[in-house]
Amino acid sequence: MSDLSAKRFDMNDIFNTLSFGVCVVDADGRVLLWNNWIARHSGIKEADALNQPLEQVFSEPVSPAFLTALKNTLAYRLPVVLSTALHRSPLPLHNISVANQQQTRMYQSISITPIQSQLNESCCLVQVTDSSTSIKREKILRSHSEILKKEAITDSMTDVCNRRFFDAHYEMAVADAKRQKHPLSIFMIDIDFFKSYNDCYGHIAGDNAIKQVADILKSQLSRATDIIARYGGEEFVLVMPHLSQKIAEQFAEKLRSAVFNLAIPHIKSRPFNRITISIGVCTGIPENDDNLLNKADAALYQAKQKGRNRCTSLPLCETEEYLEQ
Amino acid sequence: MNNLSELHLDALTEVFSIGAGRAALSLSEIVGDEVRISVPSVQVLSSKDINSTTLSLNSGRFGAVSQHFSGPFNAEAVLLFTEEQALKIVSDMMGSQMNLEELAEFEHEAMCELGNIILNACLSAMADILNFTLESSLPDYTVASADDILHRLKESSNQPYVMVLHIDLTIEKRHTAGNLVFLLSSASLANLVTHVDQFLGKLS
Amino acid sequence: MDSSIKKLLIVDDSKVSRMLIRTQILAQHPEWIISEAACGEDAIAHVDNDLPDYCTMDINMPGISGTDAAAQILSRHPSIKIVIFSANIQEAQQNRAHSLGTILVAKPVTEKSIALTLNHFTASK
Repeated sequence: MSDLSAKRFDMNDIFNTLSFGVCVVDADGRVLLWNNWIARHSGIKEADALNQPLEQVFSEPVSPAFLTALKNTLAYRLPVVLSTALHRSPLPLHNISVANQQQTRMYQSISITPIQSQLNESCCLVQVTDSSTSIKREKILRSHSEILKKEAITDSMTDVCNRRFFDAHYEMAVADAKRQKHPLSIFMIDIDFFKSYNDCYGHIAGDNAIKQVADILKSQLSRATDIIARYGGEEFVLVMPHLSQKIAEQFAEKLRSAVFNLAIPHIKSRPFNRITISIGVCTGIPENDDNLLNKADAALYQAKQKGRNRCTSLPLCETEEYLEQ
Repeated sequence: MNNLSELHLDALTEVFSIGAGRAALSLSEIVGDEVRISVPSVQVLSSKDINSTTLSLNSGRFGAVSQHFSGPFNAEAVLLFTEEQALKIVSDMMGSQMNLEELAEFEHEAMCELGNIILNACLSAMADILNFTLESSLPDYTVASADDILHRLKESSNQPYVMVLHIDLTIEKRHTAGNLVFLLSSASLANLVTHVDQFLGKLS
Repeated sequence: MDSSIKKLLIVDDSKVSRMLIRTQILAQHPEWIISEAACGEDAIAHVDNDLPDYCTMDINMPGISGTDAAAQILSRHPSIKIVIFSANIQEAQQNRAHSLGTILVAKPVTEKSIALTLNHFTASK
């Protein structure tokens, strides 16, 4: 510390304003320094603590582990930590209650460091922090941020990503594919005859059907880069990079088949009498104004036109489409 | 390094075994159950010769507790466990009522203390038997990949020697193994050998 | 003090530890005959061949533990006095050592632990 700082502050003031406990003991374990924080949380005033052996200062016993640690530091001059995890509350310190409630014992994190006095006495510096706030805070922060994160991007009913997330993600995925020149596949999926399912079986059954379809679709994805989102009521969209058109088509067929095999009865869905999906796929390396999503949507429309429960694939490039026709 | 004979290594193994015994005693008092720690072997290598096999570093992440020691002997001591082992150890130390999330909160603090107990016990055993006193920093815990750790161990050009101890730790009958690594400068290694020589000299 | 020539077997896997114990014992009893073994199994074999009066036994060795070796030796030769050396003197081990009729002494091997050892050896039963 510079000379200027030393003259500018009364270190005593700083010492007694710290928001953690500091006490110093000599080679016999007697208290030489005792700050305000520790006085408040122990209920023992400085005057009563000075020159007393630390273990006798308090009205309740000090943990044996703390005394051993102190003894070791005095003997070997090596610093010691006592974690909250393993010791909880080694010193009789309490949280100061606001109302007239029972005082609770404080969770503590302690470190004991060897230190020489100005008179060359071998002493120990004991620092105590209240860890109950940091533990609670960490718990709250962690679960809070997890909840917020989840809410922001998840569709609450089906647990797949929501539309808001998809919109942002899609833009990023397209930009990446453009920049790195790799193919991107968009799958537009729609549950066939869903309105009549709702009318026939009721809305609750309808919601359940959507959940089952979402689950089975989601279970087909394994790579971290693949996203499934709920696009609309009974519509889903998948974003998958790095697939060739052929592989994308095979994958679409796998999805269609998985839903078909759920065998959810739907008497209004002729001729299959079960819930089926139609899928439109578009795969390509986007450039300029290419719109994979629109193409996938157009492909989906074609799938519906051709009889549903099927996959249709359209290439991104106009020329090819023209050639196909 | 040619001046480290088998007898020197035997002496060091014995010193660290005694440290390990003391650490086990402290831990058993904290945990309230039987703890056994043993140091079956000590090797001294130049840091360019260590690789992932020396330290049983495979893929995955590692918990590392480190303390800096200084005195007639300067070293950075690093206690290494896989992160999976670290969580298991913390779970054993804290009793089984914690769930995984709660354990992870305490991992940092509990591993610091475990490392502190083991490192201090080994160093105090050395001080007692080989007759020197050391100062130390407080422990620090980080989680890193095997690559990061190897990099760090090989990087320090002023600490070209590495003393590696294999550590076997058994808490409540569950066995785990880790490594304790000391990074030493050539002067430190020479000093260490001198102290061991003095100790051995008294024996003949 | 009993000054007749006694035979001592030092059992420890660490050569340095055996040297340390040997040196300290010979400092007090230069006339004693000292032999060494590096593990429990060797100790048991040695004892069957050449019965010592006293034995120091390290706990942590490859193969059977020191306490197991001590138990086996004492079951065959109950007259031997054994001191078990350990760096980790937890209660469970203390109890086991006592129930065998041995004592447990903390390492490192110092004048104090050697004094305790010699006391146990030379004390009348």
